[in-house]
Amino acid sequence: MPATTPAVEIQNAWKRYAGHVAVRDLSLTVPRGSVYGLLGPNGAGKTTTIRMLLNVIAPDEGTIRIFGEPNSKAGITDRVGYLPEERGLYRKMQVRRVLRFLAQLKGMSAANADRQIDGWLERLALKTPEKDWGEAKVDELSRGMQQKVQFIATLIHDPDLVILDEPFSGLDPINAQALKDIVIELRQRGKSVIFSTHLMDNAERICDSVCIIARGEKVLDGSMADVKAHHGGRHVAVVLSNGTPAGVPPILRDRTLVARCEDSNRMLEIELAPDASPQDLLTRLIGTGATIERFEIVRPSLHRIFLDRVGAAGVEEGMTGHG
Amino acid sequence: MDKLWVITAREYLERVRTRWFLFSTVFGPVFFAALMILPAIITRRTKASEDVARIVVLDATGREVGRRIADGLSVGMIGDTARTRVHELAASELAPAESTATKEIVRGALTGYLVLDSAALEGKPVRYAGRNASAEADMDMLRRVVRESLMEARLEMAGVARDQSSTLARTRVEFELERITDRGRGGSAKVSVIFALIIVVMLYMALMLYGQAVLRGVMEEKQTRVAEVVISSVPSWQLLGGKVIGVGAVGLTQLAVWIASGLLLLRYRQPLLDKLGVDAVPFTPPDVTVGMGLVLLLFFVAGYVFYSSLFAAVGAMVSSEQEAQQALMPIILLLVSSFVFFQPILSKPTSGLAHTLSWLPFSAPIVMPLRMAVIPIAGWEIAVSLISVAAGSYIAVWLAARIYRTGMLMYGKRPTMRELARWLRTA
Repeated sequence: MPATTPAVEIQNAWKRYAGHVAVRDLSLTVPRGSVYGLLGPNGAGKTTTIRMLLNVIAPDEGTIRIFGEPNSKAGITDRVGYLPEERGLYRKMQVRRVLRFLAQLKGMSAANADRQIDGWLERLALKTPEKDWGEAKVDELSRGMQQKVQFIATLIHDPDLVILDEPFSGLDPINAQALKDIVIELRQRGKSVIFSTHLMDNAERICDSVCIIARGEKVLDGSMADVKAHHGGRHVAVVLSNGTPAGVPPILRDRTLVARCEDSNRMLEIELAPDASPQDLLTRLIGTGATIERFEIVRPSLHRIFLDRVGAAGVEEGMTGHG
Repeated sequence: MDKLWVITAREYLERVRTRWFLFSTVFGPVFFAALMILPAIITRRTKASEDVARIVVLDATGREVGRRIADGLSVGMIGDTARTRVHELAASELAPAESTATKEIVRGALTGYLVLDSAALEGKPVRYAGRNASAEADMDMLRRVVRESLMEARLEMAGVARDQSSTLARTRVEFELERITDRGRGGSAKVSVIFALIIVVMLYMALMLYGQAVLRGVMEEKQTRVAEVVISSVPSWQLLGGKVIGVGAVGLTQLAVWIASGLLLLRYRQPLLDKLGVDAVPFTPPDVTVGMGLVLLLFFVAGYVFYSSLFAAVGAMVSSEQEAQQALMPIILLLVSSFVFFQPILSKPTSGLAHTLSWLPFSAPIVMPLRMAVIPIAGWEIAVSLISVAAGSYIAVWLAARIYRTGMLMYGKRPTMRELARWLRTA
């Protein structure tokens, strides 16, 4: 297989339900060996896209390929690990048996699975010299421990493509960090990761490429750098160290200088007006007597891009849960 | 296919490991033992009580019928003729005597009174009133004694000598019931009824219990969202199929244990009853051929597939226990409907009702084995019935697979009939 084959290729996929279209003519390409963010508000069609990708539901139109093969090909999903947004395991089953079962569903032999299970349990501190939680039943574990078991289930068969649907929802900070470490390690080992979320800050820090969808349609996609470069506008991040002098707000309202300003309390993210120069802005801010702690020409944040392109209208009321 | 096996194995092993399985597997044989020993204990209680003789006979026949009845009632009892009082009186005195007797019965001095007028000798009804009027065994005894006494009197009226009349009247008839089937003589008729009852109860319970087990399993996978992980790895029909096969295998394991222990119990019934100090009633085990056993097994398997796939479809449709109970109603009604006709079918196994129910796919798995247990059924009829259940099962599986595929990923409210119809079309 040529190294250039993308991990995932979706072409013109459609999925219609009774009253609405969940996915509308969606095309996207996930490069190999990258962390790919599938971003969008709740109800945008993220989960539907992932389910079509996994061949859990069939698209009404369009083709989906995983590593160059049709996703309906037998055994192709053995190379994929999936962490669904809503997580759960067989409650009455022993942890080790659940993991062995899920590994066997991915085509591993029981013996091979058992070897991997111990390593993973130790790595995530579920097996220590004092206590082996692998022997316990799932419902004897705390919520945090169950989440760890779920990570193991997603990764035990060493998948080439890992799909994480809203992975940070409901994670405590320790498990969130553990998951980030795992994602980084996967990427270093050349695996591809698809990451669905509506939290832009997380995506901005982790993803190499992104695709933003809203109301079932693709809004934009590309590598993080391209997306930011193409968004246009010159942005300045400003931090004032001791409050905001009275002269500052009129400057921010001057539309010949500032096209828009987002005040996030500690920091101002300012988009300059088309003909204004950052120099003018800096001079005028100093003129008000403000003490400037930071003044930096920056790329727009993913959050900003998301709001610009999707807007408040992209977040439809009442369409929650099934991204 | 390997993965279908993995799912089936998980389903089977996880269920066999539970305490519930152990309990119900042990409970089966206990139930059998009770079925075999209780009848023996109950038959001891079907003899008439001694109270039956503690009555007054108001005899207006003028032919000493009352005295004969008193003699008849004392036979085999404590031998105390004085317990039965006889008033010989004129027909006109009957009414006041009855009200006196009623008072005595209310007081508890008597159990009942019997009224014989001259019409009784001509075959007209004889009246009895008493506290034990609804006790089957007492009334049987009384009826026999009255009949014999009346017959004695009538024989004498016809000119038969007195000593002869009593011998003639006491002609006893005891029925030894025996069934004759196509293969010749086959055990007593009572046994085949008990056998039919066992089969029907077992099939009904098994279909209900294992159907519910499938339902619960599907609901668990949907509620815990495990289903989403599993069907991202295997086609949804494999998850459904693995569950139905796995639970079915648990059922067959349990049935095998039950049947084996039932056979052992039959074998050692006599010594067991002796130890318990119960008189053994002659008991001929139903003779079930291997062929019939196989047909029964086929009916169980086909019926199980039919009902469990419907149960699974319901499990995939609903999101809560309460919704499940509502959505289950039609299916439970189907199952119960074949069970409630037990009595009429048993008494008339060749009626139109019995025929119809043994050909409909939802009732055939219970009704056909029931009919087979009591009367010989032609091979082609069994074949038609089996084909009908198999066809029904095929349709049920097809429906269930489609509802399952869509339903497992739908949360929130239960689908309406129209939405269901769309699932069936588009899945």
